[in-house]
Amino acid sequence: MSEVDNSWERTRNGLLWVAIPLILGILISTLIPKPIIGVIRLEDAIYSYTAQNMIKQIQYAIKHPEVRAVVLVFDSPGGTVVDTEAVYMELTRLREKKPVVTAVNGMAASGAYYLSVNTDYIYAKPSSMVGNIGVIGYLPPSPFVIEDIITTGPYKLWGAPRDSDMRQVEMIKQGFFQAVELGRGEKLTAGPETIYSGQIWSGIDAKRLGIADELGTETDAYNKAAQLAKVANYQTEDLAALAGVNTSGFLFFIQSPDGMSLPYPNKAGVFMLYIPPLPVK
Amino acid sequence: MMKRSSIFTALLILLLPIFARGLWFYRGVPQQAEVATPDFESFAAPEPPINDSAEVNDATLQTNGIVLLDNIHLNQFNLNEIDSLTSAIQERGGRMENYADSSMFEHQLKYASAFISVSPSVPFSRTEQQSLRKFAERGGRILVLTDATRNFIYYDPVSGNPLAYGDSDSANSLLSAFDISINSDYLYNTENNEGNFRNVIFEEFGKNELTFGLKEVVLYGTHSVESLSGMILLRGSGTTLSSANDAHASSQGGAALSEDGNVAAFGDFTFLTSPYNSFTDNATLISNLADFVLSGQQNTTLQSFPFIFKEKTVQVFLTSEVLKTTELVSALSGLQTSLRAMDIEIEFTDARPRSGDAIVISSFAPVDEIESYTRKFDVTLGDGNFITTTEYGDVGRFGTGLVLFDASDKGNTLVLLADTPEDIISLIGVISSGSLSACLTGESMAVCSVGVGGDYSSESTDGAATDETTPEATPTPSG
Repeated sequence: MSEVDNSWERTRNGLLWVAIPLILGILISTLIPKPIIGVIRLEDAIYSYTAQNMIKQIQYAIKHPEVRAVVLVFDSPGGTVVDTEAVYMELTRLREKKPVVTAVNGMAASGAYYLSVNTDYIYAKPSSMVGNIGVIGYLPPSPFVIEDIITTGPYKLWGAPRDSDMRQVEMIKQGFFQAVELGRGEKLTAGPETIYSGQIWSGIDAKRLGIADELGTETDAYNKAAQLAKVANYQTEDLAALAGVNTSGFLFFIQSPDGMSLPYPNKAGVFMLYIPPLPVK
Repeated sequence: MMKRSSIFTALLILLLPIFARGLWFYRGVPQQAEVATPDFESFAAPEPPINDSAEVNDATLQTNGIVLLDNIHLNQFNLNEIDSLTSAIQERGGRMENYADSSMFEHQLKYASAFISVSPSVPFSRTEQQSLRKFAERGGRILVLTDATRNFIYYDPVSGNPLAYGDSDSANSLLSAFDISINSDYLYNTENNEGNFRNVIFEEFGKNELTFGLKEVVLYGTHSVESLSGMILLRGSGTTLSSANDAHASSQGGAALSEDGNVAAFGDFTFLTSPYNSFTDNATLISNLADFVLSGQQNTTLQSFPFIFKEKTVQVFLTSEVLKTTELVSALSGLQTSLRAMDIEIEFTDARPRSGDAIVISSFAPVDEIESYTRKFDVTLGDGNFITTTEYGDVGRFGTGLVLFDASDKGNTLVLLADTPEDIISLIGVISSGSLSACLTGESMAVCSVGVGGDYSSESTDGAATDETTPEATPTPSG
């Protein structure tokens, strides 16, 4: 065999056993997705529209394997009980598969905190407002008859006796309190008389009380999520864009005649909602 | 052999970028712990503590007291909210009457057995405070019911912050005289409550007729109430805290009673409303409250005039000194009309009444029929120009009427004495007017001006002739 033939043979073997597998390996490796830390933002109250948006994003994260963890970014006073519970239950499904981390920006109060306790780690800013654990309800008026409204029962118009509504609120409270105990457990450093007083704390106090885990930024939350998901060199993606949801909301709060949004819900009901004092005029 | 190693090498090279990329992105397999969620199905709304076996005394004592209900201090309640209490009062023969005209207050308090004020928003005036203090001193009962949930909301014009103006300040304007204060707070208990932290359970009670038969009572959003000299009626447990400082104070409770037992104050009245009036022993408490307000027995004195008689019939007795002239009959008919306005009939009798309510009319002549009264009140009639009383000293007999009031278990007797038939008629007219405002009035004796007095300066008190010596004329220069 000539030297030329040998050289060709080596080249051919090199291509066959090295270059082609390498190229193939590189091509195949691209099938391994770059891990995504999905971000779900809630910068509104929790009500039917925002809750549905969150649920769609959570479902997207569950279905898509490249989404390795999720970070919830909150600036929310909470909202209606049923919508908060709906998101809470979907979050449970997500957490069974992937880690979820909370980053509190301005506020994670009441219902928003209810969701936070169903995550693996909570970051807050030093001056974030965190807590306000509890339920608030507007009792219906004492029943009376209106000439022009015909109903088939005494509570058809009013929903429930006032006393029953009060007791329902107490029942809903039990779910919230148990969720906090399950979510935070031994991390809490204060007793129930403090934790469940309905107080809202700064991020600093929240950390001290075990309401939050750490003071940190959104980036810290991404890194924590990546750490829990055991991924590196990840990219963050806004799940609203990936799931194709429109985040522009409807009006949940009462609008004053001059267009100012007041901190009160525009219809009566039972809420996991923080209602702050009105701003100084 | 060569080929096998080449295949192995190719495989390694194939896997290398895959592993490299995998390791670049993925550093292990995350371990997701099982997520625990609340056991929603195990939760239940707290049951209302309906008490079907509340021991409410059906055989209630029938008392005919009148209970004044404050309706003048912007009271924040509806009548149907206190229906359970007003019904209990009416079942006992009591009658509710509105206090809506301050000019009639003093008059109304003379015959009322109790005064109730529910969630007042306007402070009591100084006159009202004095009237009610005297009322309680006479034995009348005062019940003040406030409520931490009744507030007028104002907005601060500078900050815009909402300000709640409750009923405690207004209630305290009345209660401070009785050493009771309602605090501007609410009591709560997060550990042991009735359905909500602000629904406070009371299981410790001050020993009193108001708490008789109580084992457990719930107040629904109550101010804390305290009294240093009086008694805390409803004491919260150690976990009952005040919103003012989130602390427990054993000196505070949900209700208090004044030292003399005539004034009770509650920090809540929601317990009177349905359905809360049927929870725990609240019905028994309401029953006790009705007994409390109707058991007020004012000591009847002349200051309660004209509400000084207990019975529906008053016997009128004229002593032998008094002639039934046309003018006197006319005056007596006026008295009859006046008493009928108070649902009292008069009945003339020829003998001095020994029992029952009576009016005895006589002159100042010391006849036997009135001797027992004059002796009892230490009045000396004599036959001079003055009559002597221990209460007012010597009083001129001309143009003066003397009113004596003898209250006893057998009946209340009003004795009217004057000098002349004209003065007697005039005195009957004063009594018929329903007011002793023209008289000096004590608890059991009044002296009234009923005519024109005589010229006492020209007469000695012992009836001796005055030495009317004419002064000697002063000499003048003209002589």
